[in-house]
Amino acid sequence: MRDVAVIGLGMHPWGKFSDLSVTDLCRVAVDAALKDAGVSWREIQAVSAASSRFSGGKGWGLNGNDVVEEMGSTGIPVYNLSAGCAAGGNAFNVGYSLVAGGFHDVVLVVGGEKMPKGFIQTSGIEDAADPEFLRQRCVGMPGPAFWAQLTRRRMKDYGTTEEQLAKVAVKAHEIGKHNKNARFRDEFSLEKVMGSNLVCYPLRLFEICPVSDGAAAVVLCSADEAKKRTTKPVWVAASAVATASFNDGITRGIGGPVPTGPTIHSEAKAAVHKALRMAGVTQKDIDFIELQDNTVYYELAFPEEWGFCAPGEAEKLLEAGETMPTGKLPINPSGGFICFGEATTAQGLWQVCEMGWQLRGEAGARQVPDAKLGLSQTLGLGGNATAIVLKR
Amino acid sequence: MATGKPVVEGLFAETSAGPRLLGSRCASCGAAYFPKGAVCHNPDCTESKMQDAEFGPKGKLWSLAIQTYPPPPPAKYDEPYKPYAMGVIDLDDGLRVLGRLSGNDLKVQPGVAVELVLEPLYHEKDGTAVITWKFKPV
Repeated sequence: MRDVAVIGLGMHPWGKFSDLSVTDLCRVAVDAALKDAGVSWREIQAVSAASSRFSGGKGWGLNGNDVVEEMGSTGIPVYNLSAGCAAGGNAFNVGYSLVAGGFHDVVLVVGGEKMPKGFIQTSGIEDAADPEFLRQRCVGMPGPAFWAQLTRRRMKDYGTTEEQLAKVAVKAHEIGKHNKNARFRDEFSLEKVMGSNLVCYPLRLFEICPVSDGAAAVVLCSADEAKKRTTKPVWVAASAVATASFNDGITRGIGGPVPTGPTIHSEAKAAVHKALRMAGVTQKDIDFIELQDNTVYYELAFPEEWGFCAPGEAEKLLEAGETMPTGKLPINPSGGFICFGEATTAQGLWQVCEMGWQLRGEAGARQVPDAKLGLSQTLGLGGNATAIVLKR
Repeated sequence: MATGKPVVEGLFAETSAGPRLLGSRCASCGAAYFPKGAVCHNPDCTESKMQDAEFGPKGKLWSLAIQTYPPPPPAKYDEPYKPYAMGVIDLDDGLRVLGRLSGNDLKVQPGVAVELVLEPLYHEKDGTAVITWKFKPV
């Protein structure tokens, strides 16, 4: 396996852009990543792209082909990766593997998405064989209710209060207001978050990430190429992919065995632990985490499930300011999904951009002091998860 | 069971012993499935031996959520919309299942004992009740 460097980072800001196509968003992100890398489009030897369910891709998730046609058809191989909301992380993993395995020296990884309005409808098909249909028709449980019941259980287990849940969102915006790529850049006071509508008790509107449009791209290359092109490469210490384990207690359908252990997203934990092992580091070596906070619950639960703090400790760290960029355990120095909103298949790559800027010391008011190692994580429908460790 | 038609066929029945959910259990490893499954999904199971199984009625509420706003399709509800509770229930016979909570008490706490009931979910235009499985705190 060869060392792989990340030498180009590019994003189109997250937001709602009714006048732009997903191809427009991707072009902006790809142009920025190529410019940042000092690489011409002609030099890209392969593209690994996240397949979008909602936009572009000719209805087949061929979003990488859209990008290649837009940038100029050079005949290069294109890989389109589908993994629900984890697709950006999967695309990164394939791009990484192509360079690490010696198949290509300079590879572009890209993800873009334009989301329809409202909370994500996971299938939309009225089919009694589809567990998503059964959950919504027979029980009346849409997506936010899935997160709400996990949150309610945490309140029982650890005494988490509604105010503490709101404080996660307040903290996210405290950071995100400094991020020019974030969609929501206003201050959100505790009163504002607590005063937002209850969507599904115990979760409020400003504690759940909305859907957004956005695109991100990164250029990966071999060590030889990196030496030629940059004096401050960021290195891929690990890129891991995992799927869920049987009987982890998460209700992905409508019924299954009562779990014998704790109820956790086994796919996310497995990907993160695999990435830490690959990188040869432990939790205490990681300087910051970019995790998938579809709702404030995950910012509390995930660090505990992955062994970054003790069970029930996350609220204390939050309230002590330790999850801010200057704290002991910085979480989502980008502002996270709460500030960006979810552009499902693009977000795994925005996380890579954020890690790159942090490790280069270019994150401005969001900078994690002297950041050397960053960890990112995605979670997608179907029990998909990815984790990436970058180092400088 | 209240009179009406099931929300989806084959998921539950009023048996001589009372309401039950209709699923499968693997005779090799004991894993519970709802709805019925063709094969056991347990990777540690030595041999899939799926048999029809009835589940319920007693269990415990693992957690719950309150649906404050009217859910989007394909969910259906009677007008005027009223917030309801739903949750994750661990049945005594080994099935973890999602279900609506019976009644209008939105102050239900995780951990309470519940019992399976079959009740109307919504009504069609002609007044026909559409029945689903729910759990009643006891």
